[in-house]
Amino acid sequence: MRTAICCWLALAGFLHAGGLTFEHELLEIHAPADAGSIVADFNFENKTDKIVTIAKYDTTCSCIGVQVADGKLTYAPGEKGRIRASFDMKNFSGVVNKTVVLWLDKDPAEKPSVTLTVEVHIPVLVVLKEKTLKWKLGETPDTQKIDITMDYTKPIKIVSTTCTSDNFKVEVRTLEEGKHYELLVTPADVKEPGLAIIRIETDCDVQRHKILQAFAVIRRELPPLP
Amino acid sequence: MNAAAQFATVLTIALASAGVTYLVKGPPDRLVHCDPAKLKPDEVCLDRVMNEWKGRVLWVDARPRADWQRNGMPGAALWNLESSENMQTFEADIAGRMIDGPRVVVYCNNEDCGTSRQVAERIKSLQLGNEVFVLYGGWRALTAAKLTRDFPRK
Repeated sequence: MRTAICCWLALAGFLHAGGLTFEHELLEIHAPADAGSIVADFNFENKTDKIVTIAKYDTTCSCIGVQVADGKLTYAPGEKGRIRASFDMKNFSGVVNKTVVLWLDKDPAEKPSVTLTVEVHIPVLVVLKEKTLKWKLGETPDTQKIDITMDYTKPIKIVSTTCTSDNFKVEVRTLEEGKHYELLVTPADVKEPGLAIIRIETDCDVQRHKILQAFAVIRRELPPLP
Repeated sequence: MNAAAQFATVLTIALASAGVTYLVKGPPDRLVHCDPAKLKPDEVCLDRVMNEWKGRVLWVDARPRADWQRNGMPGAALWNLESSENMQTFEADIAGRMIDGPRVVVYCNNEDCGTSRQVAERIKSLQLGNEVFVLYGGWRALTAAKLTRDFPRK
């Protein structure tokens, strides 16, 4: 009976073996404004006394590529390794978090052992202080403004604006050429609810800051939600 | 009794116990248990969405487009963080659907998926004033409650 219990305990121990120790599970990267792709290396070591196998890895976005150094998935005690995650960031600016999850050994599908996160900071070169201008139905159709500042080493000019609704007049006021602008938006009337998309085109040499978008909304006073 | 026989005996007893447990207690409970007291400030339990709010929310699916096309909450808008997608198209679509002031609930693949929180932040940054939440348990909570639908291939 003692032999059987020993076998049982040994098997149980094997099933629960696992664990890689990462130098960092969160990496913060400050990328340039025109960053297209970003690479993050996560170094790890098997500090347990058991062999650890990376059974599976997954990402939360198809924009992430994952490579395990030399394609090696099994690590003996004391062995070191590296996971390289590369991110396609051409659509993003501001702060973006991307994650890679790892299942080790017999991790259940819903409980991966490791979550690696890269927090990428990409400078926002054209800053819209207000994203949406709002008017209540039936109120005075006053002019409202969006403050726009350029946060770049080179000047960025607004070259044009378009609005999806004829009900709104949009004007650009230059406060400091290439640096600071105001967008003045005036509805002709506020009798009907509606939403207009205002597109702002700049001459920025970084593609992701060439076209920006803001909204003008006329809506009724919202009833309190239950 | 030799070691193999002893091992087989222990295994038989364990399997029999598991079988009895299954018969008495039923299959494993796969529902996502959501404790409102333990939620993060921007999270919401599915139970609250479906019972207190009667499901009258704008669902936002933060999974990849192929998943959104295959199945999900009927009428859910798509907003993910794939680099192949146009974020301004997402903004315009969702802004138009938020105009009547519904609460917005974002879901992604599971509770470990950080995408829904980032999408929720982006929706809030539209400054439309709607309440925006992340669904606790995400896709797993919805499927366990049998609320999702498979959509016909287009």
